Amino acid sequence: MTIVGELLARHHERLSGFPAPLEQHYEAGLRALSPRLSPNQLQSWAETGVELTALSLRSWEAAVEYFKAGAELPQSATWDAIETLGRESVQMAGESAPLAVSFLRSSAATMEAVGPSHVRQWADLGRRLYKGNWKSSSLAAQFFDLAPTVFHVLRIGQAARLVLFIDELSRHSYELASACLASAPTVLQKLDEDDRLPFIAFAVELAQSSWADSRLYFERGSTLIQKVHSPVRERYLILSAQVARGHNRSAFQYFEEASASLGELEPDDHHRVIELAEQLAPYSAYAAMDFVTSVPRVLERIRIDELEPWHNAGLRILEASHDGGEAYFRLQSTRGEDILETLSARIELSKIGEIMRLYCKALTGRNVSIQTAESLAEKGIGWVEEHRASTDGSTIFLPEVMERFHEKDENFAAMKVFATHQAAHIEFGSFDFVFDRLGGVFPLRRVAFALAREKPATTDMEEYFDLFPERKLASDLFTIAEDSRIDSRVKREYGGIRRPLARMQQEELAKRPDVRQLPLRNGFVENLVRASLDGVDAIRWPKDRAEAMSRALGLLKAVHTDEAMVEDAAEATLALYEIAISIPNVYENMDEGAWDSVEPMDAGQAMPMQGGESGGDGSQMQLGSSEGSPDDAEYESPQEIDFRGDFKPELVDLLMKLREDAKMGQGGEQSPAQLTPEQLAELLAKSVEIDLDAMYDGDLDASTGMFMNNLMKEAGNPASEKGDQNQPTSDNSTGAGEGEEELIPIVTVYYYDEWDFRAQDYKPRWCAVKESKLEEGDDNFYENTLREHAGLVAQTRKQFELMKPEMFRKIKRLPDGEDFDLDSAIEWMVEKRAGASPNEKIYWRRNKIERDVAVAFLVDMSASTDEEINKREKKYDDDDYDDDPRKYLSWWVSKRRQELTSPPKRIIDLERESTVLLMTALETIGDQYGIYGFSGYGRDNVEFFVIKDFNETLDTKIKNRLDKVTPIRSTRMGPAIRHATFKLMETDAKVKILVLLSDGRPQDHGYGRDRTEKEYAIHDTKQALNEAKREGITPFALTVDRAGHDYLKTMCEDMGYEVVADIEALPSRLPALYRRLTE
Amino acid sequence: MTQGIEGSATIYASEEYAVHDEPYYLPIADEVELFETAYAQRIPVLLKGPTGAGKTRFVEYMAYKLGRPMMKVSSKTGQEAEHRMPLITVACHEDLTASDLVGRYLLDTDGTHWTDGPLTRAVKVGAICYLDEVVEARKDTTVLIHPLTDYRRLLPIEKLGQVIEAADGFLLVISYNPGYQSALKDLKHSTRQRFIAIEFDYPPREQEAEIIAHEAGCSREASIDLARLGEKVRNLKEHGLGEGVSTRLLVYAGKLMAQGVPARRACQVAITWLSRTTRKYNAASRK
Repeated sequence: MTIVGELLARHHERLSGFPAPLEQHYEAGLRALSPRLSPNQLQSWAETGVELTALSLRSWEAAVEYFKAGAELPQSATWDAIETLGRESVQMAGESAPLAVSFLRSSAATMEAVGPSHVRQWADLGRRLYKGNWKSSSLAAQFFDLAPTVFHVLRIGQAARLVLFIDELSRHSYELASACLASAPTVLQKLDEDDRLPFIAFAVELAQSSWADSRLYFERGSTLIQKVHSPVRERYLILSAQVARGHNRSAFQYFEEASASLGELEPDDHHRVIELAEQLAPYSAYAAMDFVTSVPRVLERIRIDELEPWHNAGLRILEASHDGGEAYFRLQSTRGEDILETLSARIELSKIGEIMRLYCKALTGRNVSIQTAESLAEKGIGWVEEHRASTDGSTIFLPEVMERFHEKDENFAAMKVFATHQAAHIEFGSFDFVFDRLGGVFPLRRVAFALAREKPATTDMEEYFDLFPERKLASDLFTIAEDSRIDSRVKREYGGIRRPLARMQQEELAKRPDVRQLPLRNGFVENLVRASLDGVDAIRWPKDRAEAMSRALGLLKAVHTDEAMVEDAAEATLALYEIAISIPNVYENMDEGAWDSVEPMDAGQAMPMQGGESGGDGSQMQLGSSEGSPDDAEYESPQEIDFRGDFKPELVDLLMKLREDAKMGQGGEQSPAQLTPEQLAELLAKSVEIDLDAMYDGDLDASTGMFMNNLMKEAGNPASEKGDQNQPTSDNSTGAGEGEEELIPIVTVYYYDEWDFRAQDYKPRWCAVKESKLEEGDDNFYENTLREHAGLVAQTRKQFELMKPEMFRKIKRLPDGEDFDLDSAIEWMVEKRAGASPNEKIYWRRNKIERDVAVAFLVDMSASTDEEINKREKKYDDDDYDDDPRKYLSWWVSKRRQELTSPPKRIIDLERESTVLLMTALETIGDQYGIYGFSGYGRDNVEFFVIKDFNETLDTKIKNRLDKVTPIRSTRMGPAIRHATFKLMETDAKVKILVLLSDGRPQDHGYGRDRTEKEYAIHDTKQALNEAKREGITPFALTVDRAGHDYLKTMCEDMGYEVVADIEALPSRLPALYRRLTE
Repeated sequence: MTQGIEGSATIYASEEYAVHDEPYYLPIADEVELFETAYAQRIPVLLKGPTGAGKTRFVEYMAYKLGRPMMKVSSKTGQEAEHRMPLITVACHEDLTASDLVGRYLLDTDGTHWTDGPLTRAVKVGAICYLDEVVEARKDTTVLIHPLTDYRRLLPIEKLGQVIEAADGFLLVISYNPGYQSALKDLKHSTRQRFIAIEFDYPPREQEAEIIAHEAGCSREASIDLARLGEKVRNLKEHGLGEGVSTRLLVYAGKLMAQGVPARRACQVAITWLSRTTRKYNAASRK
C-alpha cells in the first residue's frame, strides 16, 4: 500500500462525516503532493488538514480549500512553505473559519506571486485587518482573495504599507477601505514600479489626516501623479505626504492642485521646482505645496530662471513668519506681488494703461482711450488680430502684455513705440485723407484717374482705393508709404522715442525674409518695407532693373519730409503702384552678382510727371493691372511689422463716417449722405482690409449682416470724447470708450486689499466692494421719524445752528490789520507816555472762518441689527397681579395693543432714526456728508449701499432710500471702511470724518480662519481705520453692543470710539457726538 | 522822494516805479492795439488767462510803451525827467482787504499818520494799477473797484472822509485766471460788466519757441523742442497738471539748458515736478 493509500484510509473515518468533496480534494491533494514530499511530510500535511476540520463547526470548509490548494501549489513551494501555510491556516481557522477559507482559496496563486518564503508575513497582513467582527473579517477575506493580484504588483514590504493604509481606513469606514482595497491592484498597476511605495505612503498619511479623501486619491491619484515628471515623483509624493502629516484636511486638495500645476510645466523643470519646494518644506509643507501650485501662474510673469529669486524672497519671509510665507506662496500677499512685479520684465497693459493713455493724449491732444487689441477683435468690426496694435481713430488698441525683452524698461519702451505709432497715425492725420486735396510734396494726380469711375464712393479712402484694379497691392503699398511717413515723422518730432524706435526697426529688419527668394514683385514690395524700416542698405535688387527700384525708393523718401501729408503717401502709392505693376511677379534665378543694393533716386526725379505716364490725354487714365503673363506668381502681402500693428485706413474712414452719421441722426437732422446698407455692403465686399471669413464662421450673408450690425452699433455709440471718465471698474481697458451707453452703473465694483495680520501683509485685491444705490422705499419713514422726535429735532437743530461759524471773526492785537484796536491803541499811548516800550500789536482784522467738514456715515446693515430692543419688557413675576388672571390679562392686552400701535424697535430702526436726526443736523450746519450702509457675504460680495452720496442733495429720493435700510447679512467692516475712505478722499474738505455705526464686532464668511475667529476681522478693521487715519481722516466708531469694549479697545486703539450702553439714547447721542467731534 | 539805493537793490516808492527798459514782449494777436485804444479811452482792462502766459509782462510792456512819449515834470521833485508811466502792481491774496488797497493810519513817534495804500497812490499819480488775481481779494475790495471803473473814476476813502478823483493817466487793470478758481471765487457779474477782457493763452508753437529763445538765450533747436514739449504737456490739462506748463517755466527750463544743464534734467526740475500724481488710494481699481 502506498503512503497515499495509507493516509487516505487512515483519515477516511474522520473525513467521511463531511460532504463528499472534502475527501475527493483530500485525495487529489495527496496525489499531487506525494511526489514532492517525503512520507513524513505528507503525513504531517494530511494531519494538518484533518486538524482543520475539527476546529469549529465550519472549519471543514477551510479544510476543503486546504486540500484543494495542496493540488495547486506551485512547484516552487518548499515543504517549509507548505508547513507554514498549514500552521497559519490552523491558527486562522481557529479565529475565523471563513477567513481561513479565503486565505487558503487564493493561497496557491498567492504563493506563486509572493514567493514561498513570505507565507507568514502574508498571512499576518490579512490577520492584521481582522479585528474579530464580521466587517473586518470580510475585509481581511477580501484582502486574501485579492492577494495574488496585489502581490503581483507589490512586493511583500510594499503590501504591508498598503495594508497599513487599508487598516487605517477601516477604522473610519469599512466600505471605503473595501473599495480602496478592491481598486488597489488596478490603480497600482498603472503606476511605475518605483512610484508605488511613495504612492501608498502618501495614501497612509492621507488616511490619517483626511481619510474621506482617500477614495478620491485612489480614483484620481494615479492620473494626477502621471503629470509629474517620473524621476521626481517619489520626492513629490514625499512632499505631499508632509502636508498630510500636519493633519491637514485639505491635503488631497493640495496634492491635486499642485499636480495639476506641475502638469502645466515642462517636465524638465519639475526637478527644479520640487527641489525649491523641498527647501520650503522644513518651514511649512503648505508653503511648499502652494509654491508648486503657484509656479505656472508665476511663470506667466517671470522667466524660469527668475523663479529662484522669487522663491528665495519668499523663503526669507517664511523663515520670519509662517503665515507670511504661506500667504506669499499662495500669491495672497502684497509683498509677494511687489516682488513679482520687480522681477517680472513683463509689461501689462492693465498696469500701465493709464500712463499710456496720458501719453497718447499728450501726443495727440485728443481724448484717446487705450484698450487691449483683444477687445477690438471681440467687437467684430473688421479687426481680427488679438495681439496687434491698432487704432480706430479714437481709441488706441495695444497688446495686453509686452514681454519681448528681458528688461522691464525695454518692454515699456517697446510698448511706447507701439503706442506712439498708433497715436502718430491720429496726430499726423493718417485718417484725415481727403481725396482731392493737394499734398505737401507731390502734385495731385489721382483726381485724373478718378474721371474714369462711374460710381460715387462712400468715403474718400474708398474712392481712392477704387482707383486700383489690384486693391491688395495698393493697400499694402499705401500701408508702407503711410507707416513710413509716420515713422520718420515720429523720429523727427520726438527725440525720446528715437532710439527705441530705431531698435525696433533694426529688429524687424533682421526678421525680414530674403528678397532673393521672392518673386520679383513681392521682392519689390519687400524692399520698400526695408527702406521704410530705415534699411536701405539691406535692399537687394537685380542690377538690370535698378532704375525702377531706385525711383521707388526716391518716392518713399519724398514722403519722409516734413511737408508730406497723408495725401502725399497716397500719391506715392499711386506712383509705386505703377512701378510695381510693371514688374512681373516671377522668380529670377540669378547668381549672387546680379543682385545689388540700390540707391534712392532724388525725390524730384522720382516724381512722375503731372498727368502720369500710363494715361494719354488724361480723360481716360486708368491704372494697370497685372493680368497677363501666366508665369506670374500670385502676389503675397509682405510679412507684417509688429510695432506698426494693423493699419486699416479704409475701415477707420468708414467708421468715422458712420459715427458722424450717427451723431447727426441723434441730433434729429437727417444727414443727406446717410449710408445705406447696400452701400455699406458693397464697400465691405471691395475692401481688402476686412476678412469676413476670419471673423465669423458660417455663410457669407449672415456674417456680412452680423458685421454690419456690429459696425453700426459701434458707430452709434461714439467712443470719442469720453476718455476722461475714468471708470472705476472695467476689464483690461482704461478709460471709457467701450461703446456702452452712458447709463449710470447700477453696481460698480471696487477692489480692495485686505490685511492679514498673521502674514503681516495685505492680500492683494482681495475684496470686491459692490457699490449700488439703495432702492427707494416709502417716504413716510423720514417724516414719521421727524414727527416722533420733534422735540429732539428742534433741540438738535438749535445746537447745530449755534455751531455755525461766524463768517468773519474779529481778531485783535495784531501787528498789522484793518484798523486800530482802540483798547490796544490806548494802552500803547499810555505806555509810551510812561516811557515804557509799548506793545506794537495794536491792530485788529477780521479773519475768515471756514467750516470745511466732510463726514461719511457708515451704517451697519448686518442681520444682527434685526434684534429687538426689549427694554419695555415687563417681568411676569411682578407681584402686581396677585395671581389674578384678570390683571395679568389686562396687562397682556395693553402690551399687545402697544406693540400693535408701535411695534418693538430693532437696532436698525434706531440706527435709521439716528441717521435721520443727524441728517437734519447736518443740513442745518451745512457740512458735506455721505451716508452709506454696508453688508454682504464673503469677500467677493461686500455690498455697499449708497443712501446719500456726497454729491447728492437731500431730496425725496434719499428720504425714500432711508426706508429701505434693513438688516441683510454679514459685517465685513474692513472693505466698507476702505471704500468710505475712498469716498471721503474724493471730497476736498479740510476736515474729514468717518463715523462707523455698528451693533457688534466685524464678522463675515471667510473673515478669519473660521467663523469663530475674531482676531482676523478685528485686525483688518483696525488696519482699515488706520489707513483712513493715515489719509488724514478722523475715524470714529460707535457701537450699541454692550460687549463692545473688548474689541473696540483693540480695533480703535488710539482712535475715538464709544459704546452707547442705552440703545434708545442713540438718536440723541449721535448728533451730540458729532458736535463734539467737529467742534 | 523815496527813491534810493540800498545795498545793490534799487528802491522806489510804489507810485514812482516805472518800467525803464523796454520789456520783451511778442504780440500774439491784436492785444497791444486793443490795450492802447482802451487806455486812450480809459476803459478798464481785464486780462484773462492762465498763469505764466505773459499777462504781467504784457502790462509792463504796455506801461512802458504808453509812458514813453510823455515828457513831464515830476510833481514832487520838480526835476525834469523823461516821465514814464508809473505801474503799481498789487498781487491779491485772500486776506487782502479794502484798507490794504486804500491805506490806513499808522502809528509813529508823533502819533498817527495816514498812509496811502497802493490803489490810492495810483489814483493820485495817474498810474496804471494792476491788480493781479483780483478774485482772490476779499469782497470788500469791489466797493473800491466799482466807482473807479465806471464813468465816475472816483476813489472813496471812507476813513478820511474823502473822495479822490482819479488823475488823468489812471487806469485799472485786473487779471483773472478762470482756470483754477472755484465757483466760490468767481468774478461778480457786476464787476465783469466794467471791463473789456483781453484773453491770453499760451502762444502757438512757433511764437513760443521764439519767446523761449529770446528769454532763455538757448539754442533755436532747444527752444523749438521746449515749445513742442509745452504743447504736449498742455494736452494733458486736468490730469494733475492744472493748466499745463506755463511759458514762464519753459523759459526757465531753457535758461537752465543754456547754462549747460542737460535737457532731460532741466525739464525734470522745471516741468515734470508739476505733475502731482493723482492720489492713488489703495483701491486698485481694475481687474
